[in-house]
Amino acid sequence: MSSTFEAEVIAVMEQNKAGEDIHKASLSDAEKAEIEREFAHYEDKASVGLEALRIVQKHRGWVSDESLRAVSAYLDIPVAQLESVATYFQLIFRQPVGREVILLCKSASCWIMGCAHLQKKIQEKLRIKPGEITADGLFTLLETPCLGDCDNAPVMMINGEMHRHLTEATVDEILDNKIKTHRAKGSCHAGPDTD
Amino acid sequence: MPTITIDGKNYQAEEQENLLSVCLTAGINLPYFCWHPAMGSVGACRQCAVIEYKNTDDKHGRLVMSCMTQVREGGIYSVDATRARQFRGGIIENLMTNHPHDCPVCEEGGECHLQDMTEMSGHTMRRFRGRKRTHRNQYLGPFINHEMNRCIACYRCTRFYRDYAGGTDLQPLARNNQVYFGRHEDGLLENGFSGNLVEVCPTGVFTDKTFSKHFVRKWDLQSAPSVCEHCAVGCNTAPGARAPGNGKDPILRRVVNLYNRDINGYFLCDRGRFGYDYVNSEKRIKNVLVACEKNIISSTAAPGERIHGEIHPEPAVKHLARHLAEVQQGRRRLIGIGSPRSSLENNFALRELVGKNNFFSGLSARDLQLLQLVDRTQRDARIHCPTTPEIESADAILILGEDIDNTAPRVALAVRQAARNRQKRQAQQLQIPLWQDASVRQLRVEASPIFFIGLEKPRLADITSATLLGTPEQTALFADSIAQLILGDDTGARKLAPDCRAQVEQVANTLRQAENPLIISGCGSRSSDIIHCAGKIAATLADTSSSPCSLYLACPEVNSLGLTQFFPAGEGDLEQLAHTLEIHSGTPCTLIVLENDLYRRADRHTVERIFNSADAVILIDTLLNNTARHADLIFPAAATAESQGTYINSQGTAQRFYAVCEGASYIQESWRWLVDAANFCKQKSPQLATIAAWRHSMDLSEALAANFHQFEVLEKIGPDENYRLNGLKIARQSHRYSGRTALGAKAQVAELPPHPDPDAPMTFSMEGIQSPAMTPLSAHIWSPGWNSNQSIIKFQQEINGHRLGVRGSVPIRRQPQPLPEWQLAASVPAKTSKTLTAVPLYRLFGSGELSVGAAAIASVTDIPFAQISREDAQRLDVTAGDIGQLQLGGESHTVEIRISDAQPPGTVGVPSGLPGLETLAALLPAPAQLERRSDREPGETP
Ligand code: SF4
Ligand code: SF4
Ligand code: FES
Ligand code: FES
Repeated sequence: MSSTFEAEVIAVMEQNKAGEDIHKASLSDAEKAEIEREFAHYEDKASVGLEALRIVQKHRGWVSDESLRAVSAYLDIPVAQLESVATYFQLIFRQPVGREVILLCKSASCWIMGCAHLQKKIQEKLRIKPGEITADGLFTLLETPCLGDCDNAPVMMINGEMHRHLTEATVDEILDNKIKTHRAKGSCHAGPDTD
Repeated sequence: MPTITIDGKNYQAEEQENLLSVCLTAGINLPYFCWHPAMGSVGACRQCAVIEYKNTDDKHGRLVMSCMTQVREGGIYSVDATRARQFRGGIIENLMTNHPHDCPVCEEGGECHLQDMTEMSGHTMRRFRGRKRTHRNQYLGPFINHEMNRCIACYRCTRFYRDYAGGTDLQPLARNNQVYFGRHEDGLLENGFSGNLVEVCPTGVFTDKTFSKHFVRKWDLQSAPSVCEHCAVGCNTAPGARAPGNGKDPILRRVVNLYNRDINGYFLCDRGRFGYDYVNSEKRIKNVLVACEKNIISSTAAPGERIHGEIHPEPAVKHLARHLAEVQQGRRRLIGIGSPRSSLENNFALRELVGKNNFFSGLSARDLQLLQLVDRTQRDARIHCPTTPEIESADAILILGEDIDNTAPRVALAVRQAARNRQKRQAQQLQIPLWQDASVRQLRVEASPIFFIGLEKPRLADITSATLLGTPEQTALFADSIAQLILGDDTGARKLAPDCRAQVEQVANTLRQAENPLIISGCGSRSSDIIHCAGKIAATLADTSSSPCSLYLACPEVNSLGLTQFFPAGEGDLEQLAHTLEIHSGTPCTLIVLENDLYRRADRHTVERIFNSADAVILIDTLLNNTARHADLIFPAAATAESQGTYINSQGTAQRFYAVCEGASYIQESWRWLVDAANFCKQKSPQLATIAAWRHSMDLSEALAANFHQFEVLEKIGPDENYRLNGLKIARQSHRYSGRTALGAKAQVAELPPHPDPDAPMTFSMEGIQSPAMTPLSAHIWSPGWNSNQSIIKFQQEINGHRLGVRGSVPIRRQPQPLPEWQLAASVPAKTSKTLTAVPLYRLFGSGELSVGAAAIASVTDIPFAQISREDAQRLDVTAGDIGQLQLGGESHTVEIRISDAQPPGTVGVPSGLPGLETLAALLPAPAQLERRSDREPGETP
């Protein structure tokens, strides 16, 4: 019996599930570098999914379909699986959000302390419903469960910063300040007047 | 065996079993949603709550989820306690706050587990008056409807699709009240077992879209036990049929799974589930067709092709009878060509009519030899043909050159389960019962060893320990070295390249150390060397362990192995037939082709030689095909669901299928046309007289049993037509079957008696025995309170056990015969610059001859293509997506060129049986040429 094998003839397949012709949307080098840093903390690439989404969101503000596909291709996990993670976590945004994301606590303590009034106030002031984005692109309002700050209820969090013991007046003031800062920076296009 | 008390009664339970299974086995009606007999428990739905008491003094007890509760010796439980009942009712009430009240327009209605459980829980009033959450539905392809509002978030769908079947494109999305089960975006569900969602989902979220096109309620379907005819696995099915109210032909409306522990269990593949629609297709032959004398001017028929018109069956049968008479007078030869997709009974009838020397297999020499080799291998006492549960429990698997995902899909699903055996073993060591599905799946254990070597990267690649890609010759060499190594001989292995050698050594060691090794191969590569090697490895393993080794050899078609039994080695192929016909060209010759398209079986030249030497070609078949174009007379044949007969699957198991409905118009079983012709003969030889006397399908089964040792079991598979239960036949229709008078009212206001059924002790009516659990005749799986397919638990000896009563599947008895010594001949494939070797690729949708006749399957079937390696693409100067011309065995086909890194250099993958390329299948493997169509000048940059 003679051998017909050359080493390269029988190809040993690597387990690469990403299809060849998957639409290639790409991640930036900075994003890749940050994601790669996360690898050290997890057993396998697939587990980095959530962190990768957070990183991409940090850079892009939200996770578009293209971004989702890019992460999926980069980590070699099915896009549906990544979508499952993305849609599970409320703070991964699969839609564009405003520059300032208002997380208004709607759980028991804040509810007792009147968060419903605050919500009404915010909605009327900004003319948005939860999940929507103001016309000037500045704000998105989201309802959130307990922020773990019940003794200071009612509370809301804007871009990571807590605002406690809220009243309609303080809410007004906080939002006005935000608007002012952004206008000063020129970082919002002139939408309908939000006052 | 723990003894437990449920509501004051004592029961014996299996060690380590969960309480829900114990209750259901004991016949106690306890509602559940998320538990599935094949997938175990996750405790997601909270529907199966019962009370568990600490001891006899404990009067209060506590609520536990029975599916998550392991029975303990002396355990005291209550299903009936008011608190448990209220809790279960509360769960339903909670689910119903979002579930729409749309049963009347929901296709699940009438066989809905949610309806059943709602009734069972006693929660029959809605108090909720608020708004329900609503979802957008997705387009999931031509097979499955999606109606997410009906979801109760039991997670069964994704547990099946993702965890059990390995699909990646269906996931739970979002959360809380919004949780959604769907794809990332609209599109065809990619997994080949997606159809099972229809049965796995306990509500109407996933329903059968092909059924929607001609929907009726489950209770309005007429059904009978059948066998899937779309591959050789032989899954058991329960097709449903019903005539439309408009006086038109009866419609075969759907196929659902029919539990058979040893073959399909609870699951079918999508080809089997959705392929049924070929029966209703426009290509269906329903009447007797005769070739017109003259070709009609300006017709599109090619030379030699005939144009046909309908005629009444009587003159046609008389015409055949005249030929039979001439044969008896020695003035005419009669040749019969059988078929691997027709029943034993049909093949046998033709064989008896023409005489065994004039009966041919309808297969090329190569195909018949491959099958005979499979048969021969399985006859060795060291070889064991494994059942599906045995495949699932194999602890090391080697797949040799067989793309089982596409040629024996249900087997691939079983292999996927085997990948978890190490994990399961670890769970057992940790005292985690195997039904604790989520806990067991969480264990991080290396997958059980599964090795694949073949032409194309299989779907199974995500669970294999190694996937090797090579040509059939390389596969054979590789396999042969393994066989040698198991015996401690490394001559073959030493000749291999180092990394191949390492692989060979690893495979050989793993197999040698395994307790239940399993080898899988088959006819797919169309290489006898591979089958030889597979047999050799299995036999060697059996020798070293001194117990038979499991070897699954996949055959191409539903009755391939059955047909093979009629032919001694080296006899009965088409090339031989062409040769014989030419030798005896003096006498006029009639050719009867049974359910076979010869153009798919042999090269065009051979087929034309055969047709040219016959002065009359008579075809009996279901769908119009290339052979029909050359036939003088065409008789309409009954499809599987319209007839009774026996198929032998790849395991060598004989299975009887029963007619679900009567064929439309003049359709009847192929053998009946032959019997009719025999009856029209005035002078009858004793042989012809015997044939003319056949009345019942069982007459043929019995004759087969009497004539062939291996078919003796045919008499025992099921009762004959005279069988009665309490003096009654078995009803094919449920007792709720509606509108039977109205159905026929268009033609006849009087209620006519049902069609007589001469073949089975069953009636085409609702009068008779319903759901006869103790016979193999029950396809209507239903039990009071259990209208959905979940009622199967009422028909099992125990959960996941055999069906109650007599078995409908019995292995045929073949004479044991040890495999002869066999050595792999050295083969050095000649490489010329422009010649490639064309090798067969298989597709779930496309490679099945009949299933591509189903509209939904046709809509997702690929276009003709040819796949080559990157290296060859460069050499040939073609790019992916180019239109190419494929030259093969004197045929030339236009194909789309595809490039795959996995395609072994020097080969071109040609999809076997794909519409447009169907005439190539029989030629593979063969030298071929591929070039870009000259629409673009070679060398010109695109
Ligand atoms: S879609 Fe069906 S199977 Fe899936 S979670 Fe909903 S009800 Fe259960
Ligand atoms: S595996 Fe084969 S027999 Fe089973 S359903 Fe699929 S095509 Fe039919
Ligand atoms: S309820 Fe608002 S912070 Fe806890
Ligand atoms: S069946 Fe027990 S919790 Fe779902």
